[in-house]
Amino acid sequence: MEQREVRDIDALNAALNSVKVLRSNVRRVFESVSNGLRSDHGEDGKENKYILELQELLTTVNNNLREVEGSVANLTPPPGPFTLGNTTYLSQETTLERQQLYGQLVNNYKWTDKIRAYSVLAGDIFESNKFVKTHKSTNLLVNQKRRKPHAIHHNVPPEIIETFINGIGRFYNDMTVTANRPAGPNPVIQISLGRVFKAIIAFKGLIIEFVTVKSLSENNDLWSESRYKVFRKVSDHCNAAMCHFFTPYSADTSIKSYMEWLHSYITLFSAPCKGCSKRLNSNMPPTWRNFTTLEAYHEECK
Amino acid sequence: MGVTILSQFPIDNRTGPQTIEMLTKRILALGSVQQGHFLVDCETYSSVQALGHQRSVHVLHNSEQPATVFSLLDTGTKIIPLATDGLFDLLMMKMASFYQSKKQTKAESKGPRFEIADFCVKLGTVTVSSNFKGVLVEVEYKPCVIPALCWELILEFLQGFLGSSAPAAPPAFLQNRMQEIYSPIDTIQQYLEHFTHFRKSQAPTMMMRPQ
Repeated sequence: MEQREVRDIDALNAALNSVKVLRSNVRRVFESVSNGLRSDHGEDGKENKYILELQELLTTVNNNLREVEGSVANLTPPPGPFTLGNTTYLSQETTLERQQLYGQLVNNYKWTDKIRAYSVLAGDIFESNKFVKTHKSTNLLVNQKRRKPHAIHHNVPPEIIETFINGIGRFYNDMTVTANRPAGPNPVIQISLGRVFKAIIAFKGLIIEFVTVKSLSENNDLWSESRYKVFRKVSDHCNAAMCHFFTPYSADTSIKSYMEWLHSYITLFSAPCKGCSKRLNSNMPPTWRNFTTLEAYHEECK
Repeated sequence: MGVTILSQFPIDNRTGPQTIEMLTKRILALGSVQQGHFLVDCETYSSVQALGHQRSVHVLHNSEQPATVFSLLDTGTKIIPLATDGLFDLLMMKMASFYQSKKQTKAESKGPRFEIADFCVKLGTVTVSSNFKGVLVEVEYKPCVIPALCWELILEFLQGFLGSSAPAAPPAFLQNRMQEIYSPIDTIQQYLEHFTHFRKSQAPTMMMRPQ
């Protein structure tokens, strides 16, 4: 395996070298063409001399080209497309200074890779020289070591999101969920909560990015506000709650608790405020729900 | 279009305009803004004897749905509602030989219209063939379409500015339809209920002063 890699790298080096030689010789051809007849061609038959020189140069270029072709044919193509993970998103960056990030990222990666290699070595050495004072601390260390690395949830395969969204719809009887994907793999879902309202939620991976609440008769546009004051207020609270429930390392639980909270709005028009036991305060029903107890409150009474 | 509750406001010893003025003051004090006027009118046609069993058709217009003509066919045993476009008026004129307009029964409710948060309040002076009959207060809660969900909310609002005159229970017409989705024709049915009631009642002792 290692041998093959060494061979691949040698072949790659050879190919790069031959490309370099080719480029330099091509440059000489252009140089000679741009200079034209020079004094060192003498007086007699200078055209013939010049043509001969050019012919010689072109023959070299031809040979070099053959070499390049040969060395390229020796290369083994990579088995599949490169998986760049989250770094692919960097290519969507539009600002100039951020485009430099890729280089830094690669350096960082190399650095962490080295750290990892060294720490594995160090770990082995420590393992062979066990000198431990307390029993407890080792347990802790071992536990930490075995803990699964956290995944960040903004880059999740669409199938997982799909099953997750369907799960929400199945879990609550009075919530109907429909998903569509207007741009790329990230879905925008519409949740109809009973006959009270619908919420339009934009996802990025498994992370909620934006929420709009509207009346059931209004359109599904994510960016326009509802024409009703009460739904505009609920939208604001929903966006605030989105930040409250946001936990990047366990997005699924975060969404589940968010949905549980959103579901409590089924009583938007019917529940009295827990604080003042009235239904109306400045002509609005209780639009806020407690994050843990899910009780209804007016914005002013919470 | 949201759930609408229509209720009659007792005029006691006041005149119609005085009552409207009083209610206007109250609703403005709550922070509402006047948004124009409204008009709901009702004309009743009854079938000629040649058609046999007598039926009547009530044709109503509501300025909230200006392109729609609502008609309710009363067969005596049940009421069949129908929402059509403006041509229905012309159709009724064509049918003049079968359905004749009852004179002296044109009822209408008109007055100012207010908006306050998501509520829409209309204070209507009811006249039957130009005789003042009473005052109707219409309150609409626009975001909600299920009467059962927001009845108590609307009731609280009504109590807020009608005081003890607020209705104690949902209108009779709505009581069987509390879980259904509310539509504009349900408002019309409530108006018809009140208009029929006003037509049967005697004119109040106070006559409307010429405006």
